[in-house]
Amino acid sequence: MSLSDQTALQRARRLARQRFTDPKRKRGLLVAFEGPDGSGKTTQRKLFKTWLKSEGYDVVTTKWNSSQLIKPIIKSRKAVRALSPEEFSLLHGADFRHRVEQVILPALWDGKLVIADRFLFTGLARDVARGLDLDWVLRLYQPLLWPDLVFYFAVSPITSGKRVTATRMPSFYEAGQDVTDVDDPVESYQRFIARVIREYESLALIFNFITVDAEQSIGEQHRQIRDLFLEGQRRPWSPWNIEAVAEWLAMNGNRR
Amino acid sequence: MAGDERKPPVRVARTRAKLVAVDGVDAPAVLAAAKAALAATTPGEPAARGGISRWDASGIFQDLEVAEEEAGAASARTLLLLYAADLAFRLRWQIRPALLEGRTVVAAPYVDTAIAFGRAAGLPSTWLANLFRFAPRAAERHVVATQAAAAAKDGFVAFASHHVNGGSDLRARQRLITQTAAILARPRPAARRRRSPRARS
Repeated sequence: MSLSDQTALQRARRLARQRFTDPKRKRGLLVAFEGPDGSGKTTQRKLFKTWLKSEGYDVVTTKWNSSQLIKPIIKSRKAVRALSPEEFSLLHGADFRHRVEQVILPALWDGKLVIADRFLFTGLARDVARGLDLDWVLRLYQPLLWPDLVFYFAVSPITSGKRVTATRMPSFYEAGQDVTDVDDPVESYQRFIARVIREYESLALIFNFITVDAEQSIGEQHRQIRDLFLEGQRRPWSPWNIEAVAEWLAMNGNRR
Repeated sequence: MAGDERKPPVRVARTRAKLVAVDGVDAPAVLAAAKAALAATTPGEPAARGGISRWDASGIFQDLEVAEEEAGAASARTLLLLYAADLAFRLRWQIRPALLEGRTVVAAPYVDTAIAFGRAAGLPSTWLANLFRFAPRAAERHVVATQAAAAAKDGFVAFASHHVNGGSDLRARQRLITQTAAILARPRPAARRRRSPRARS
């Protein structure tokens, strides 16, 4: 079935609305963890997942740049430092799209809770920090799928730099050396992450992220996340997501 | 002066630098038309010929073919994001350098083939227009008309139609190719200036 079949798309919209707004059905939830490197997202994501499972949730995790189809393509090009900002952005957009279609939407449709360790906001923050236009990048991710909750782990550029460089040398693209023209990866990272954090802070305001002070202790952050999740999970499904779900359903011939 | 790191002056480009786009669903016919367009644009001037920029110069789709079996099929959107990444690569390494040297370069295929494929797959034209905003408008555009049923054994449209959503439905695949060819054959609206996705500082 093609997406150009308007009847199929309309049917898909109806199915999507029914599925996600049915009060008798436990609907899928999407929770995104965002923040700069070294902000402790992964630690919190693991703690959160363990707690959710103990509470009886069926949890699926998806990580940034992890599509089995696209990741090898990105990895080989990063290894030879062959990506321009546009290519970097487009390939990560393709990776994200493939995961939305293959992992995230199927899990949400089945009523599971999806934790995204980084979401499209990572692409936005990094690409804009690389000098690309926010509007162009945002539209690459259409049809947009909005998480039910976005936890933003806020740290200063200095803390991020200290935590990352304490254990390893930042990689070429992680340090933004493709755009800073700075030879020293640590110095480049420090400059680049300051730009990324600035973009994240703007996105946090625009998209209403829940900011977690990631300079607090691990235990305090975890408690805060649990409480915020329990409040936030009762929010109604965002009708903005209807196009993303409908397109996916129509693409699969409404075989759900 | 010590410490002066200014770059040497760039040579002024010759005025005949030109980007020519040749689009179509039948890759061998598109290539033949590209060769003819290049020769016609620079008659008797081989030095002014920058050459032909072809699909998958970056090898993305070759790599995709290897990965796909286990990883799950790509959608039309995913394939077009990859086409755009490949085009960004071609612009950086093939097209822009040739234009800067004052040469004529033929992009075969260029943007119109991908947009027509996206429209045939039912994607919104606004999304497609934004996706290719980084690509400069060609000075000349040619479309290779084809009997679509016999065409598309090779090239992006054949590849994408074969791979989109698993490509197991032969009729759907052929319909996509036919619709892409039909959309390409339609008269195009007047060109609008594209804005670069690079943010203005």
